[in-house]
Amino acid sequence: MTTLRPDPLTTSTFRERARAQLAKPFLREAVPKATDHAVAALRTRFADHDYEALRELGRAIRAEAIADLDRHLADLEQALVANGVRVHHAADAGAARDLIRGIVRDAGGRTVVKVKSMATEEIDLNPALAADGVRVVETDLGEYVVQLDGDRPSHIIAPIIHKTRGEVRESLSRAVGRELPDDAAALTGVARAQLRDAFMEADVGISGANFGVADTGTICLVTNEGNGRMCTSLPRVHIALMGVERVVPRMTDLAVLLPLLTGAGTGQLVTSYVNLLSGPRRPGEPDGPEEMHVVLLDNGRRALRGTPYEEVLHCIRCGACQNVCPVYRQVGGHAYGWVYGGPIGAVLTPLFRGQRDGGELSQATSLCGACDDVCPVKIPLHDLLLSLRRDRAAAGVAPRGERIAARLWSWAWAHPATYRLSVRLARAASLPARHPAVARRLPLAGRWAAGRTLPRPARRPYHRRLR
Amino acid sequence: MTAAPDPALLARIAPTELRPGEDPVTRFVREARLVQTAVEVTTRDRLAAAVTEALRAEGARRVAVAADLAPLRYEMAARLREAGIEAVRYEDVAPDRDAVRDLDATVTGCMAAVAATGSIVTGGAAGRGGALVAPVHVCVVERSRLFDGLLALLRALPDLGAASAIALQTGPSRTADIEKTLILGMHGPKAVHVVVVVDAPATPAP
Repeated sequence: MTTLRPDPLTTSTFRERARAQLAKPFLREAVPKATDHAVAALRTRFADHDYEALRELGRAIRAEAIADLDRHLADLEQALVANGVRVHHAADAGAARDLIRGIVRDAGGRTVVKVKSMATEEIDLNPALAADGVRVVETDLGEYVVQLDGDRPSHIIAPIIHKTRGEVRESLSRAVGRELPDDAAALTGVARAQLRDAFMEADVGISGANFGVADTGTICLVTNEGNGRMCTSLPRVHIALMGVERVVPRMTDLAVLLPLLTGAGTGQLVTSYVNLLSGPRRPGEPDGPEEMHVVLLDNGRRALRGTPYEEVLHCIRCGACQNVCPVYRQVGGHAYGWVYGGPIGAVLTPLFRGQRDGGELSQATSLCGACDDVCPVKIPLHDLLLSLRRDRAAAGVAPRGERIAARLWSWAWAHPATYRLSVRLARAASLPARHPAVARRLPLAGRWAAGRTLPRPARRPYHRRLR
Repeated sequence: MTAAPDPALLARIAPTELRPGEDPVTRFVREARLVQTAVEVTTRDRLAAAVTEALRAEGARRVAVAADLAPLRYEMAARLREAGIEAVRYEDVAPDRDAVRDLDATVTGCMAAVAATGSIVTGGAAGRGGALVAPVHVCVVERSRLFDGLLALLRALPDLGAASAIALQTGPSRTADIEKTLILGMHGPKAVHVVVVVDAPATPAP
């Protein structure tokens, strides 16, 4: 895969990135605070409703969509075309970039306004358009700040969760060339005015898609700020980039999936704007784009069907697994090194970017299962992470020391004598190793033991008591 | 193979549905107010006055009125002018981006509304921008267009008339991107007024 921006995944390790993030005191305060807010909101939202039963319905709908993906995609395409939408197919990121660049070029597009979209992050769209001389403006407030800073979003739905108000003030002050007050309302007002100008000038609006509804040929786009509707109302051309897995069979499925998406994502009943877009402007309508294009992005998705990882295609990108993940809450999204962070990122990155670059992310988890418990469509994320660890071992891409240690351990525990010896050694070491200074110096297990309080060993080991 | 969700089951498990026996207007008003929508329940003879008052309270002087208010639209525009508010047709200003920018408020009807979520459904003759582009939006909701919950709305969409784009709008435009501080009016309106008309419908029910 070619990326046009520096690629942290190939130039650094998770450990290095995590350490850099942990050195930022605000991050360790802000991310747990913001994610606690989201988790509490989710609990409140479903306090007197059966979240479990709704999740089960959501899981069944997503499973149905993915099990017969090609048929639903064919239905979606047919319905979109009947609605006057032009449908394009992109096998990979490069193809998607070229398709979108072509549409923008044909439209004579000079200014593009964008709705926040993880799929466009995945294909690194903005630098490609900029290289063509097109001005690209992200219109979600958080994404706009990320763009001003040449940064990347660090959360699926809260892109600047890692930034302080002071940092946002600095970025916006630089953009408008004057010192702005340290006040969220004032900063938002300035961003609104800047972005209003962009909306008025834009020729093309580019969005992602939360869902593609097959039976009606509709792209569903969920926002709170209203930028989704602005980007799809004012410019002459609208392009939606949709991961092929986002298809759902029926419009009525949204009665299940929308409350799951917004409930798990922000704790809202519904977001402020749920846009249902079914084609370009029609006769009798006062506004809307003359052309609507949908680009269906594969980029490794179809290949996951029939593998142990098929269920990752059920994901509706709500961000809830990030909010509850003890690793994400400490290190934030950038430590993961690619587009998606948290448990879903730890699964998607090795699958999309390969074991060599992304494999170590399957270690960036405590396997506590909090992500499984919160996922609105019940993806068994921690099983998938375990499975990715097995694949990583099989692929032989782990560091040499780790591989040798694992092989020794595996051999030792397969033989009774060496097993007992290892238990005796562990017993002897575990009492003094309860002291952190000793723990750090343990052979082989030093790193592992340093961050843990080791249990006090039993007086008589269990296997001896059984005799 | 699953089928479309069962309404009775969904009503028990989804917060976006009405509980059995719950009054739709009461629920709509409560949910809309929870998300900072100003709501007034009124009758047809008081409608124009209620819209005028909402616009006055927001200090709106230049207002676009959308086509989906027909046949009330001309009566409404006349009343607004009497109150000293300049009223234009939304479809006349829509193509001119500077004119759109100068609007203080828009007044629209709606295709539907959803009781359980406090949402209004806009689009069609009001366009995509009719309920979005000005800092203030006033929306007239006929009682007959109020659906119980999200599922009932989605099932009825094919009967609401062909629109290239519709939006469920729930409260004003909002963001909490800066340190989770809630700010209204990010891109769309920062104030939304909904006037619910509870007596005989002026336009055919969906």
